[in-house]
Amino acid sequence: MSETFPRERIRNFSIIAHIDHGKSTLADRFLEITGAVDTRKRAEQMLDSMDLEKERGITIKAAAVALQAKIDGEDYLLNLIDTPGHVDFSYEVEKSLQACEGALLLIDAAQGIQAQTVANALLALEQEMTVIPVFNKIDLPHARPEEIAEELEHVLLLEKESALPCSAKTGKGVEELLREIVRQVPAPQGDPDKPLRALIFDAKYDEYRGVVVYLRIIDGVIRKGDSVHMLGTGRDYDVLELGKFTPKPKPFKSMGPGEAGYLISNIKRLGDVKVGDTITLTKGERAEPLQGYREPQAMVWCGIYPTNSGDFENLRSALETLKLNDSSILFEPESSDALGFGFRCGFLGLLHMEIVQERLERESDLDIVQTAPTVPYEVQFLEGESQVIHSPGELPDSNEYQEIREPVVTTSILVPDFGIGPVMKLCADRRGVFLRQDHLSPTRVMLVWDMPLAEIIFDFYDKLKSATRGYGTMNYDEPRFEASRLVKVRIMVSGVEADALSVICHTDSAQKRGRAILRKLQKEIPRHQFQVALQAAVGGKIIARENIRALSKNVTAKCYGGDITRKRKLLEKQKEGKKRMKSLGRVEVPQKAFLAVLSTDE
Amino acid sequence: MSLYVHFPYCQSKCRYCDFNSYAWTGQNMEAYVDAVLQEARSVAKELLPQTVFIGGGTPSLLSPQLLDRLLRGLADISGFVHSSKETTLEANPESFSREKASLAKDLGITRISLGIQSLRQEVLQAYDRVHDPEQALKALDAAQEVGFAHCNADLIFAFPGQNPEHWWQDLHTVLASGIDHLSAYELSYEPGTALTRLNQAGRWPAENPDHCQALFEGTRQACHQAGFGGYEVSNFAKSGAACLHNLVYWRSHSYVGLGAGAHSWYQGNRVQNLPSPEDYLATIQNRGQAIQEKQRPSPGTLLFEILMMGLRLPHEGVNLDRAEKLTELDALEYFGDPLSSLLDRKWLCLETGSQKERYLRATETGFLLLDEILLQLLPDDSNSPARKAQ
Ligand SMILES: Nc1nc2c(ncn2[C@@H]2O[C@H](COP(=O)(O)OP(=O)(O)OP(=O)(O)O)[C@@H](O)[C@H]2O)c(=O)[nH]1
Ligand code: SF4
Ligand SMILES: [Mg+2]
Repeated sequence: MSETFPRERIRNFSIIAHIDHGKSTLADRFLEITGAVDTRKRAEQMLDSMDLEKERGITIKAAAVALQAKIDGEDYLLNLIDTPGHVDFSYEVEKSLQACEGALLLIDAAQGIQAQTVANALLALEQEMTVIPVFNKIDLPHARPEEIAEELEHVLLLEKESALPCSAKTGKGVEELLREIVRQVPAPQGDPDKPLRALIFDAKYDEYRGVVVYLRIIDGVIRKGDSVHMLGTGRDYDVLELGKFTPKPKPFKSMGPGEAGYLISNIKRLGDVKVGDTITLTKGERAEPLQGYREPQAMVWCGIYPTNSGDFENLRSALETLKLNDSSILFEPESSDALGFGFRCGFLGLLHMEIVQERLERESDLDIVQTAPTVPYEVQFLEGESQVIHSPGELPDSNEYQEIREPVVTTSILVPDFGIGPVMKLCADRRGVFLRQDHLSPTRVMLVWDMPLAEIIFDFYDKLKSATRGYGTMNYDEPRFEASRLVKVRIMVSGVEADALSVICHTDSAQKRGRAILRKLQKEIPRHQFQVALQAAVGGKIIARENIRALSKNVTAKCYGGDITRKRKLLEKQKEGKKRMKSLGRVEVPQKAFLAVLSTDE
Repeated sequence: MSLYVHFPYCQSKCRYCDFNSYAWTGQNMEAYVDAVLQEARSVAKELLPQTVFIGGGTPSLLSPQLLDRLLRGLADISGFVHSSKETTLEANPESFSREKASLAKDLGITRISLGIQSLRQEVLQAYDRVHDPEQALKALDAAQEVGFAHCNADLIFAFPGQNPEHWWQDLHTVLASGIDHLSAYELSYEPGTALTRLNQAGRWPAENPDHCQALFEGTRQACHQAGFGGYEVSNFAKSGAACLHNLVYWRSHSYVGLGAGAHSWYQGNRVQNLPSPEDYLATIQNRGQAIQEKQRPSPGTLLFEILMMGLRLPHEGVNLDRAEKLTELDALEYFGDPLSSLLDRKWLCLETGSQKERYLRATETGFLLLDEILLQLLPDDSNSPARKAQ
């Protein structure tokens, strides 16, 4: 197709929701009923293309697809973006919404409004776009659309009559949804005769083709062969291929206002493209830049080290490869006495960290040790300048700085009424400051607290789930930095300071944290031929100590019968395991121990 | 040469068990016995073994008729009745009646090894054992009454959280029951067992290592006082009653194994049969043998294995001259620094025997740390050829 699609019959929309409310499943139904995929080839969550997305059943990256549908006799082009629901990836939702005029706000009709429902709905409403509430999963026997309609009106101030029921699983109501999208979502604005203006709303790296730029045309027309200029980076490129995801990439000769698709142009590194940048033509009148995106912030940092110190360069290239696909990963080299040379890496959140670690191990076949995650801290020096640090090791001596500031986030927690007490206590115990409480319905409440982010990444979510029998959900906004009484707890193993084990925490909880870490280490570090002393210290003061008793017996009890080879192999396996340990002085520490700092129990 | 015969079925599978054993669910035992005899005809004809061990699994599960068929058949083929100095039958209390005991004796069995494990109902149950304490005591009695010259009992200690008094009581009762040999094993968590899965799921915490050590040492002492010398890590015997067959393993002498998953060691080869009884049976019926793997260990690997087994004998240790004959490696040279530092630390020591042969032995301290010693002696990459040349 060479001509651009008539603007009046284009609709751009995102599907947004809380995690697992059925976005990707609904996208599957859209793909099927518009004939984009053959019903015989149907699979589940077809837009979740990464292995990890499939295995975990969650969406990590937003996925765009162009659908053609005949509605009431007219042909329409529907550009759909399926977004992730998890809080770590809310940046993906933000990016997607800017390329759309409408959003389907999916709500699980059994679970009702959850924390990311609210957060994502507010993102859409702030952009003043059309939001169509949809009650999904109405096939479930415990679906309660009437109650949820009340919550919708009460919490999001959306008219309860505006909600449409559907089941992404059975397909019921899905056709009707398409019709409503066409009716309610406005056609994109834009003038084909104006100079080209296109928004880069995403980019991904393809092994064979280099960077694939996802763009949405605002004004003007882009054609294959054009020379384009990116306003933000100032770079120029030739358009080698232009196309749309249908969901397979399908080349087009040109695209006009309102259309969305991809552009390929021999761009080698993902870093050369800025998501949120504006594309114009190199020649002719320059267009005004579009409002870009904020940079996503890395809120969780940890050290990643190769188990085998010879693998440092391999780890670096593995990280670089991952970054090609995921520009939100940050990393810089660091070294640790215990772990040698590795990288300090920044992530959007804990799930993001976990996913990157899994991809590293899987895609590069490297054995890695990861240290416990930490948030960034802002150190205010006496001389007036300040610095953001990403690891406890970087914290200077207490006489060198005036104050330390930590990230604090406004956190919304949705809980059933029976969970209010325990959750309030949890937040208070974790140094939270209570802001307000709103009733969503007679039985559900939204609690809003200011919480130090460090407390949230420290197993808060598990505690929240157990305090609410699994029903509690939460969301938090961008952090701000606030001064706090923080100290560094140092850990010594047989007198040797283990820099990779030290943590920054609040003065009042230093002793408790120190003791918890030592107890955990006591469990994780195997006995040695000598007694191992464990100590926790703040400044020069020891605040906790424990011992690991000397090993005095280690002998296989049962060793008779003819299978000698197997016994030798068991020993060889043990020896392999020992080789993978890291040494702190004379003490061999298993990798698991470096995460010891993470758990609170015992 | 010794002969081992494996019978793979048990009444049900115990939680801690990592042997090649299967709960019996109606498989044809007669066919199995015939397969073993067929295998014997091809690999153990006129073997004239010095010791025989019928183990399992639970060979006492065999009916009197099948026991008769197996032992008579083996006697005809291998001639063991005349050559064997010790012929052991493993038995479990639930399937060891006086009648069966008496029949076994008539058929040439000289030694009974009873799987007692515990005399506490709650412990037996937690292990998924099928017998109760009363049956265990009855089985011990049966062995005495029928007049076996030698009788062993197996016990397991370090049941998590158990009152130590309960263990001491079990131990004394069993030591006083007329047996002349005791195997007392610390409960271990072997890869792949139900117990290990429970342990990893956090539903079966292991006993605290300090308690384990106290039990281990206390057990050695109690046995000693009762006249049972500890001649191996977990084995105790009255004077002259050490198990000759098991000594064959610890001394790396040769043996032929018959039956599913049985292992053999002779003429420099380690041989393993197919472990699954079904596969074993089908293959024997076709080919007369059911070898899964046959391997010739490298001299270095063999030397390590000789030490791994031999150091378990605290009084005797490893005869280095004999080891050198088998491997053409001098242990002191081959293991080099790791070995000399273990000698310096007095975990190991060298001794000279009556014929001037050299022995390597674990000291009191080293004996408790055998695995640690072996880990230090284990060559870094055991796939690499012997390091002798350097
Ligand atoms: N019964 C029922 N189950 C549904 C329906 N829609 C989705 N599901 C199920 O809900 C689960 C989550 O669906 P997804 O489509 O992966 O949810 P998502 O919103 O894309 O999740 P994230 O991308 O992780 O935020 C899957 O097990 C779906 O099969 C529905 O209408 N009815
Ligand atoms: S009876 Fe013996 S061989 Fe059989 S399952 Fe129990 S421990 Fe294992
Ligand atoms: Mg999804």
